[in-house]
Amino acid sequence: MFRSLQDDDHDLVTLIVNDQPVNARKGQSVWSAMAVASQVVTRKAALSGEERSAYCAMGVCFECMVEIDGLPNQQACLRRVADGMSVATQDITENSEATDEGL
Amino acid sequence: MKAFDCAIIGAGPAGMSAAIELAQAGADVVVLDRADRAGGQIYRSAADSPLPDAAHLGPDYAAGADLIIRFEQSGATHLAGADVWHLGDDGRILFSYQGETREVHCREMLLCPGAMERPMPIPGWTLPGVMTAGAAQVMLKSDAVVADGAVFAGSGPLLYLIVAQYLRLGVQVAALVDTTPRQHFFDAAPLMPRALQQLGNLRKGLSLLREIRASGVATYRYAENLEVIGDDRATGLRFSASGQQHEVSADTVFLHHGVQPNLNMSRAMGLAHHWNSTQMCWQVTVDAFGQSSVPHVSVGGDGAGIIGADGARAAGRVAAQNILFRLGRISQADRDQSVRADLNDLSALKPFRRFIDCLYRPTEALRLPRDAETQVCRCEEQSLGDLRKGFEQGARDPNALKSLTRCGMGPCQGRQCGHVVAGLLAQWRAESPEEVGYYRLRSPQRLLTLDELGRYGSVSAGAAE
Repeated sequence: MFRSLQDDDHDLVTLIVNDQPVNARKGQSVWSAMAVASQVVTRKAALSGEERSAYCAMGVCFECMVEIDGLPNQQACLRRVADGMSVATQDITENSEATDEGL
Repeated sequence: MKAFDCAIIGAGPAGMSAAIELAQAGADVVVLDRADRAGGQIYRSAADSPLPDAAHLGPDYAAGADLIIRFEQSGATHLAGADVWHLGDDGRILFSYQGETREVHCREMLLCPGAMERPMPIPGWTLPGVMTAGAAQVMLKSDAVVADGAVFAGSGPLLYLIVAQYLRLGVQVAALVDTTPRQHFFDAAPLMPRALQQLGNLRKGLSLLREIRASGVATYRYAENLEVIGDDRATGLRFSASGQQHEVSADTVFLHHGVQPNLNMSRAMGLAHHWNSTQMCWQVTVDAFGQSSVPHVSVGGDGAGIIGADGARAAGRVAAQNILFRLGRISQADRDQSVRADLNDLSALKPFRRFIDCLYRPTEALRLPRDAETQVCRCEEQSLGDLRKGFEQGARDPNALKSLTRCGMGPCQGRQCGHVVAGLLAQWRAESPEEVGYYRLRSPQRLLTLDELGRYGSVSAGAAE
């Protein structure tokens, strides 16, 4: 279980992770906000659809790609939270059809 | 557009140290770095830690804050949040910045890409809950986020450091599963006397180990046959140690067995590389000043072979002095005079590094998967069995295997599987990875949207924001 060592008296923002409101510290990475909220599944693997999660947390592995405000392939470990941001587990597999949603 | 005298990519210890030297000498220098604040991975958030008491992370980390502040006051142009995706040997650099594509031009280029963690392709390593020890470090440093009850498995100083940091912060640790083989202690013993010259570093390492031992955390030594257990989430780690099977329950498993240079930039530029058989990784071929096979491109820090943060600072300063010489700002004699102390320090670090590299060298069992089902390429989901089939169909080098199986073709562009694929092919061909080679990489080195490419701007020397 992930938890924050910080006191609560800092600037908070609220984002939506898979339809659930999540509070996070301003400046925090999207990935760590997800982790503290126990929303660890970032994406479905492209072929098998198996659930994946952040592995390196430093931008190298691309396992933490999520959809942010409708735009897919966003590395949750590199993006910072913002108030009202909407984050969803990325579910793009071989069988997905292309859409122009989010463009 | 006016070109910069020098562009530095990466604001870790090497990049910051080089920038300070260049700016002090009056050169027009721009530093491009992906993070919001300088520091690199090792000094991440060192100058603005979110932790209530960052002293728990140790004095080496605290020392990073001073370097960050000196860098920020150096007068170098710092483009924070610049994600570089193309480096041309014509001195042109393209990068993403605030949702746009920007370009800069430079006469000299210094790559400071740093290190990344060596992948550990054990069964179950793709399960949610399995991360690297470096990931634990990043989350702790930049976001003050920790995982209670995690198991740490592998070998090497960075693994012991994060365990000790967790313990100091009162974070519960399920176990330390140490995979350093008994044989490595015998192999490293003859290197110990010369490593003693770096007594300070040796003491630091020993005190970490003592700290962990004194904490009473369950520690298993000489562990082998690691396997993450769990169906759709990690639920623990299974391994054998001292002839016995063990299972430790944990929903987070942090793996580590050393770091390797971040190669994608230098590979995509076509710089010469060679295989380092001690550190078991590829590295850019550079001379004593960090100059690569392309004269106006230098590489500093861990990107040119793992030397650690102190070494990276020295290497950055040395590269900067050579660049000043190449720019015609100082004479060769001045350069040689300026770099003498740093070159001496760099050679003094070598015996200690050799000792550490020998003691903690990655074992083949953790470097290369053994189970046919184990994923090698995480992006394209290519297992050991899939790759073996490709090899048997005639794909004898990484690029042929990539064409046949799609390994290395996913979004990470081979960053995770590159060394593993080269290692497997070397094993199957009974040749050195040097013979086998590496993926051919190209720009762009990150994911781009057409939308972003449509917004284009440039940053000139002397007129940067």
